[in-house]
Amino acid sequence: MVSEEKRTELLKKIHDSVVEFEEETSVKLCTEALNEGIDPYDAIMEGLAAGMETVGGLYEQKEYFVPELLLCSDAMYAGLDVLRPHVKVDKSVKTVGKIIMGVIEGDIHDIGKTLVKTMFEAAGWEIYDLGKDVKLEKFVEELKRTEADVVALSALMTTSMLAMPKVIGMLKAEVPEVIVMVGGAPLSLEIAKQYGADGYAKDAVAAVQEADRLFKKVA
Amino acid sequence: MQLRQDRMTSLERIDALFNYQKPDRISVGAMSTGFNTKNAGFTVADAYEDPDKSFKAMMWTTQQYGWDPIPQYAGHTVLGAWDFGGEVRMPQGEYEGALVITSYPVKDEGDIDGLEMPDPKKAGRIPRAMRFSELQAAHDIPVFFFSRSPFTMAANISGIDQFLRWTMKKPEACEKLLRLSIDHIFNVLEYWVETFGPDMIFAWMSSPSESNQLISPGTLKKFALPYHAEYHKRLKKLGIKRFGLHVCGDQNLNLPLLAEASPWQHPSVLSFGHEVDIETAAEHFPKDIIYGNIEPAVIQTGTPEQVYELSRVAIEKGKKAPGGFILGPGCGLPVMAPPVNVWAMTKAANDFGWYD
Repeated sequence: MVSEEKRTELLKKIHDSVVEFEEETSVKLCTEALNEGIDPYDAIMEGLAAGMETVGGLYEQKEYFVPELLLCSDAMYAGLDVLRPHVKVDKSVKTVGKIIMGVIEGDIHDIGKTLVKTMFEAAGWEIYDLGKDVKLEKFVEELKRTEADVVALSALMTTSMLAMPKVIGMLKAEVPEVIVMVGGAPLSLEIAKQYGADGYAKDAVAAVQEADRLFKKVA
Repeated sequence: MQLRQDRMTSLERIDALFNYQKPDRISVGAMSTGFNTKNAGFTVADAYEDPDKSFKAMMWTTQQYGWDPIPQYAGHTVLGAWDFGGEVRMPQGEYEGALVITSYPVKDEGDIDGLEMPDPKKAGRIPRAMRFSELQAAHDIPVFFFSRSPFTMAANISGIDQFLRWTMKKPEACEKLLRLSIDHIFNVLEYWVETFGPDMIFAWMSSPSESNQLISPGTLKKFALPYHAEYHKRLKKLGIKRFGLHVCGDQNLNLPLLAEASPWQHPSVLSFGHEVDIETAAEHFPKDIIYGNIEPAVIQTGTPEQVYELSRVAIEKGKKAPGGFILGPGCGLPVMAPPVNVWAMTKAANDFGWYD
């Protein structure tokens, strides 16, 4: 059994490997954590996810920008690939909520959605990522299939954002209580309200905070 | 409404701005590729595919809204992904407003050394852009040459995600793509100069991938600014005097570095998004003509009253810009913008934009 001191040190190192975007180090340390008998769920939450939380703070303080975020995300996912197969089932289902996300039809710009996905992953959400240029009907089908709590829609173009009010109407008609969030460069809180969305976030970090707020309000 | 009578032609107004003279009134312009063709009853794809329809649409739309030719273009002259052998398709369906890249020419680092320099006369949509420029020249309006910044073009060749990762982990891969990008821009620019002469050409550049929504000022300094400097040395050597830069998105953190470098000839037209305040822009670039910055999403989803008020405020600030001011959207005019909202900018220029 690993000592408390060693456990704390290893989890801190995993955290740091994410913050310092050291993908290979993250893999090495996560493997070491497994070998030392550290619960993989704890290694994810206290190491990798905690690292991404720190990264989110650095992004908000404008110390990190998208290149750093992408590399931190790579380090987190590399570690997750090592740990996830070993997570015990009862703990793996302990998610915050279910979220469907995708870049809306007519739009192939998915860098923002990629970052949003990473932050939700780190925050413990169960994610259904539909990718980019997603047909409106696909969001509704996925909602019916997964019974997700939240649907997050992304758009970078002023043309593609025009699809948002339509798909929000379709989603609400199917599941009136579903929480729909929108984001992307041309969006704003005012436009989100106008389109009938429940929430809006200006970036990936804010998206998780907003989803948490809306989800707690409903729950 | 009663429009006041212009005392200058569009070209005289632009000439006045480039000579630091006060024009009769605030100039109004728009980057309006797909809006033009939709406005004229054509398709969005026609803006990119059919230079004759696109030119006709631009001319009528320009006259309808009283715009001046700063800039007047229909799509890019040179493109990264398409020109270097990637696959691009025309916009289609209800929600697409621009070209769609379906395959990048560089999928991984190993592809870079295999890239060939594009044919400066035949690659991508260059032949269509040439036809458009010929129509501009035939109508005695400036011939626009529109490229992305080398940084943005390089990211467009490899895909933005990969390129941004490389800025941190593989800077040499970025440098190779940046070199190819700037050399391609100038290969095509030389063709334009041979065809039209340098005095007819108005070079225009946009830099969306340099916004602080993506990169830090440090990344701008390391990877983008050196190529801005080279671009302007080479532009000067070709004898091209008129230049405009669309400083796309939120570039507030970049402004001090851009102002310090400002490698372009003065005055140049500097276009800003709604994220950069007009007064802030004018403080940083007092020798240049500030252009902007009405939020496109408001033009599309807001009311004419909102657009009119945003335009009034922009004009009040812009009139104080020492290098001059042009009113227009802060980025591309949304394809589906309601005509009354577009007209609200023109009305504001008429109501508040006169210098007497």
